[in-house]
Amino acid sequence: MKGGFYSRLALDGIRRNSQLYLPYLMTCALMAAVYYILHFLSHDPAVLAMRGGSSLSFTLMLGRFVIVIFSLLFLFYTHSFLIRRRKKEFGLYNVLGMDKRNIARILLRETLWSYGISMTAGLLAGVALSKLAQLFLLRLTHGDIDYRFRIDFRYVGSTLLYFGVIFGLILLNTLRQIRFSNPIELMGSESSGEQPPKVRWLPGALGAVLLALAYYLAVSIQQPLEALLWFFAAVNMVIVATYLLFIAGSVALCRILQRNKRFYYRARNYVSVSSMSFRMKRNGAGLASICILLTMVLVMISSSACLYFGKDQALQSRYPRDICVQATVYGYGPENERLCAELEALCSEETGNMPKRDTLRIYDEYCIVGLLKDKRVEMSIDSTTNQAFIDYSDVVTLHLVSLEDYNAMGGERLELGEHEVLLGCCGSDALPGVGESFGVGDREFSVQRRIDGQVEDFDRCAYNSVCTTVVLVLKEREELAKELSRYKDYNGDDMLYLNWLYQFDTDADSERVEETVRTTAIRLQRYLKEQGRDFQSYCDSANAQRADFFGTFGGLFFIGILLSVVFLLACVLMIYYKQLSEGYEDRGRFAIMRKLGMTGENIRESINAQMLLVFMLPVVFAVLHLGFAFPMVEKVLMLFGVANTRLFLITNIIGVGTVLLFYTLVYRITGNAYYRIVTAGSEENG
Amino acid sequence: MSILEVRGLKKIYKTRLGGAEVEALRNVSFTVEAGDYLAIMGESGSGKTTLLNILAALDRPTAGTVLLDGQDFSALEESTVARFRRDNLGFVFQDFNLLDTFTIEDNIYLPLVLSDTNYVLMQERLQPLARRLGIEELLRKYPYEVSGGQKQRAAVARALITEPKLLLADEPTGALDSRASDELLRIFKEVNRSGQTVLMVTHSARAASTASRVLFIRDGEVFHQLYRGEDSDERFYGRISDTLTALHKGGEGA
Repeated sequence: MKGGFYSRLALDGIRRNSQLYLPYLMTCALMAAVYYILHFLSHDPAVLAMRGGSSLSFTLMLGRFVIVIFSLLFLFYTHSFLIRRRKKEFGLYNVLGMDKRNIARILLRETLWSYGISMTAGLLAGVALSKLAQLFLLRLTHGDIDYRFRIDFRYVGSTLLYFGVIFGLILLNTLRQIRFSNPIELMGSESSGEQPPKVRWLPGALGAVLLALAYYLAVSIQQPLEALLWFFAAVNMVIVATYLLFIAGSVALCRILQRNKRFYYRARNYVSVSSMSFRMKRNGAGLASICILLTMVLVMISSSACLYFGKDQALQSRYPRDICVQATVYGYGPENERLCAELEALCSEETGNMPKRDTLRIYDEYCIVGLLKDKRVEMSIDSTTNQAFIDYSDVVTLHLVSLEDYNAMGGERLELGEHEVLLGCCGSDALPGVGESFGVGDREFSVQRRIDGQVEDFDRCAYNSVCTTVVLVLKEREELAKELSRYKDYNGDDMLYLNWLYQFDTDADSERVEETVRTTAIRLQRYLKEQGRDFQSYCDSANAQRADFFGTFGGLFFIGILLSVVFLLACVLMIYYKQLSEGYEDRGRFAIMRKLGMTGENIRESINAQMLLVFMLPVVFAVLHLGFAFPMVEKVLMLFGVANTRLFLITNIIGVGTVLLFYTLVYRITGNAYYRIVTAGSEENG
Repeated sequence: MSILEVRGLKKIYKTRLGGAEVEALRNVSFTVEAGDYLAIMGESGSGKTTLLNILAALDRPTAGTVLLDGQDFSALEESTVARFRRDNLGFVFQDFNLLDTFTIEDNIYLPLVLSDTNYVLMQERLQPLARRLGIEELLRKYPYEVSGGQKQRAAVARALITEPKLLLADEPTGALDSRASDELLRIFKEVNRSGQTVLMVTHSARAASTASRVLFIRDGEVFHQLYRGEDSDERFYGRISDTLTALHKGGEGA
């Protein structure tokens, strides 16, 4: 037998099974295209040239890593569907006198063909789309648009190589399967006698409990940092719970339904429920995977979109003015007042020739970290160092602001008596109300007014900081600061520190801003060093940071979109194959029922009921997961500086809407394919 | 009173690529009286499967009529035919056609469930039927757990639970060993004795010998007819065999 003969057989096999092969080849092509695009972009000069380009390139590389892992797993999985359908054919070849070596040759040709076809299509698409993806990415990240078109053959090569390895592994695995089976097994492998599903109550119940626990965790956590710490635990719990529920829980549910005779013995439920329990036994894991993929898509797209569209807020929270100068000096000293005055003089001198808008703010605050207990902040060594044992919800950062500064900033003329304070708080509801007393160290104060709304004016990051922020405005600030300066941490260093801030908006052009920022920062450093104090300082322009923000969040959004598309298509493909393979299995069953007097209408009804369930189950659970993840993810986003519930809600809704739309479309298409397969069998009989 | 009346039945198949026509049934007429037990015999390709499909309303004749209890069902709509089939006919197939996702009990209930019968009524009907067919112990089992003979008895129960006017059996012993066959034929006879009209298509002379009348079909026509009269099964079997031999010879001669 000649090579051409095998090639013909292989091509013929692909063509005859095009209903199965085409989606597989398309997936391979898509994966290859995405792989190429990510590889291309992560080394693209236009991307690297951007400010923050290297971190963007790193993000893209991580995205490629995800695709590498995912395509390996997923192509293996989809190929197993293909081969299950084709084993019968190989069995026939075997019976007709071909030995396993011949079959291996056909398989090799088939692999080569599908590799050739999918790589050609994938790389063509990848090269063509790489420009589009680049423009899109540059637009998202506000990079400089580059209109040249480039093909990089190094990455074409790496794509070919990587997918060559995957195809090779899949071929080896198939050969292994063929080798260890005899023709009769091969021919009958599709309908190997199936036992009814066993109800496993324990794993089912465990799944429910685990899910409830994970949900509770997600909604009960208050602190952003805690949310981040527990997020991955919750994600893992949800994944395990979903698998348990789908595999064991669904069968248990079917059994419960079957026990309800009045419900079960109805024409429209009867067939659906009984075949559902079989179906879930086979497909529970698959549906759970679909559900988790969908959840991933939803969380990824809604949170990355929220970050991207909320980036201005994140920027604002970190840089409330165009130019922000901050100096932090540890400890309390009588010279602090002189220090502040000199700092101010220094800054006015440096920035004096810049056009300033009327938003200049100069103030200072003493800060200290303590533990909040019974409406009293206590300073202890543990509050700063022994972090493993503290409950983050008890940690507060105390900002002491003088009444003078407060009045100056708000343009007010408020009077406070002895021991009276204005109290502002963000992140805790355990603080005293108006008229109640509030303790700091050994001192007692009475709360004259709550100024929670103004906390952000003092600490723009208050709502996204790890711990509770408390702002205390009082007359006798210096005395209190002096008293608090006696607390030292484990290293014997001061716990109290002074923040001095100088912030203003300017209309100067960016070049001038950059220059000023640079020289000011240097002078600031030099001055503080001369003072011989333990210090930190920075001088930054919001504009300069903007590019970094765009680069990071734009890159995340880009990866989010790309991976979402890939994952979504993966879901679609899984569902499609599921429907097809089940269609072939159900065909015989429906043919029998037709003979026994089931009408076409009955069949359609029953099919619709089953399909709806199979289709809706993952998506309903995915949306449920998303809903419960909402408060937790929202808190994690706060750590990135985006705290915008409304925006996050909107991106969630748009995400769910898009996925549902897409999903419904696929439902229609695969539904028709399934119906055709199922009825084809019975019409032949009719 | 005749329960089934078949008149001048004709069926022509066209091959898929147009052109050639195959005449499966040329001109078939016969009647079945209530309580009758009729066997139809013929070789492969004689047209007996086509005839059965038309009787089961799974196929439509090219010409001629089939009256069941005076009603012509070749004129019915597709959806009404399905209901008609469910309500009036019971089927037993060669390969059982039990659904593997249902227990034996649920398989038996299937036709009743399809016509939305009350669960209590279904149970009431099943109990005596299961006892008569000796499958009480099997009801909770799945088809893959029971033997061929037991499966076929379950299929008979499924056919009878609707209390059909006519029980149609297509080679019911075809997939059974001789013991299971004898057992099934005994059941058919007993069912018939209790008043059930039975029509069985078979090419087994042993199966046919349990009937009260045998029709022989050849080349799409009723070729011959035998009545049991007062014969025992054995004697009737002899006569059937003789007829088959004659039929066979005639076939060669033609």
